[in-house]
Amino acid sequence: MSQKHTALSKIDALTQRTLTIFGIVSASFILLIAFFITIRGIIPFITDNNGAGAVNVWLFLTETVWLRGPTFVSSAYGVGFLIIQTLYLAFLSLFISFPVGVLTALFIAKIAPKRLASVLRSIVELMASIPSIVYGLVGVGLFLPWIHALARALGQQSAGGLGTLGVMIVLALMSLPTITAISEVSIRSVDQSLEHASLALGATPTQTRFKITLLAAKSGIFSSAILAIGRALGEATAVSLVAGNARSGPNFGLFNITSTLTSTMLEGMKETVGIDYDIRFSVGIILMIVILITNLILNTLKKKVGNVHA
Amino acid sequence: MMTTVFNIENLNLFYGDFHALKNIDMVIYKNQVTALIGPSGCGKSTFIRCLNRMNDLIPEAKMEGCVRFDGEECQIGGYDVIGLRKRVGMVFQKPNPFPMSIFDNVAFGPRQQGIKQKEVLQGIVEKALKQAALYEEVKDRLTSSALSLSGGQQQRLCIARALALEPEVILMDEPTSALDPLATQRIESLINDLKEDYTIVIVTHSMQQAARISDYTAFFYMGELREIDTTEKIFKAPRLKQTEDYITGRFG
Repeated sequence: MSQKHTALSKIDALTQRTLTIFGIVSASFILLIAFFITIRGIIPFITDNNGAGAVNVWLFLTETVWLRGPTFVSSAYGVGFLIIQTLYLAFLSLFISFPVGVLTALFIAKIAPKRLASVLRSIVELMASIPSIVYGLVGVGLFLPWIHALARALGQQSAGGLGTLGVMIVLALMSLPTITAISEVSIRSVDQSLEHASLALGATPTQTRFKITLLAAKSGIFSSAILAIGRALGEATAVSLVAGNARSGPNFGLFNITSTLTSTMLEGMKETVGIDYDIRFSVGIILMIVILITNLILNTLKKKVGNVHA
Repeated sequence: MMTTVFNIENLNLFYGDFHALKNIDMVIYKNQVTALIGPSGCGKSTFIRCLNRMNDLIPEAKMEGCVRFDGEECQIGGYDVIGLRKRVGMVFQKPNPFPMSIFDNVAFGPRQQGIKQKEVLQGIVEKALKQAALYEEVKDRLTSSALSLSGGQQQRLCIARALALEPEVILMDEPTSALDPLATQRIESLINDLKEDYTIVIVTHSMQQAARISDYTAFFYMGELREIDTTEKIFKAPRLKQTEDYITGRFG
């Protein structure tokens, strides 16, 4: 009996140690990535880049032009406008994906008949699994001509539809499944007794859904928006296909060409060397910092919003 | 002759194939407390939910017969459920305040009716909280979260929330089963005060509670209303042996 007991507690200890190791390995991947990107990305600032000169950090962060002039020199790179455009586009896409996603989630969770709800859930999962390049192709093939036509109809210039509006739509489509799926789960897990209380107070089902159900699910809905922002900030492939890769900015107009940190990193990556190659790792550092800070701010905000009456 | 609020005639309720309420005939008197007692699964909660039509939310529930409120015509389909629920409030088993401020909880019902003026809402909220004997405890923190209140306070808040619509009837489905004895006592004395102005129907598992607070007691068993009379009669000299056995704790 006691022998068996000892054996079991040994297994317990072993399991615990193994799981700890797995945890540490997983966590160290992110450190490894951050370390690698930082080591590579810091080169342009601390070396003279084979005669091109060291990049000035302040100018790099605040400049409004990327790759000025015909040659690769240290003063040619500025990401200030890219940071602004990246954040602008991510939040802009949320203007479409957030309301559409949350309302879809409400429909699936509360209104759709069971069969339809499960079909819609599968569609949302499928949308989430479509590779980003496909979204980019749909953007190029389908939306750009429409946007171009729309711009013409409004008497505006557009570069064949490339630019802010296209990126906004593509990013919105890509983050829609994230918002829908996570909001739907949080709406479904709202305590039904709250909804019953509302109905028993003579509120209509519609009033109950918008005033009570969404309110009670707001923490999960907010989380879905944070994840969507994360996805939008980090998307490269689809964005670079429809952005137009503007080299100066910031541009805010819907029909203006634009660019993001990621699309700039991606563009020409394979055909370049020296400082022009290394500097893309520097942009990677900036991207990670931007995402980190955005997440920190949004999570603080979420705690504040969530804690008000929870 | 006492005025009746509810006239229930030949009420039957089915959950799919399950016959949950069988041929209930019953009258509920105005400004009286009517207690519904009986063993678990006897249909008393199902019955109380017929009075404000909460069973309508269960797709497989089918109701037959008549529940006539305030002398209205007998109607089952196409009934103005929303209008009914404004006049027949409900308090649930577990306190279920909304995740919003104390003030907003109480103001919720009136706001859904389109009342927006701040002064009017303030008046309604204050009055309802006073009626629910909660005002003194929360008057300095009306804007703080309802979830910061204790269980007993939350339940009184839920009562205030129902009172804010100035209903005629308040249905209570085991309102104290999740509360400690002290909080239970406060709710019971509150019920005693409220019957001046309201008709109260309460489901309870506690015989002592039924005896303490109710004027009428209805004993349900297996979906049937076995006996209803004044509480005094039910507890002192019930007509049926089964009622006596249940009250004295011989089964249930």
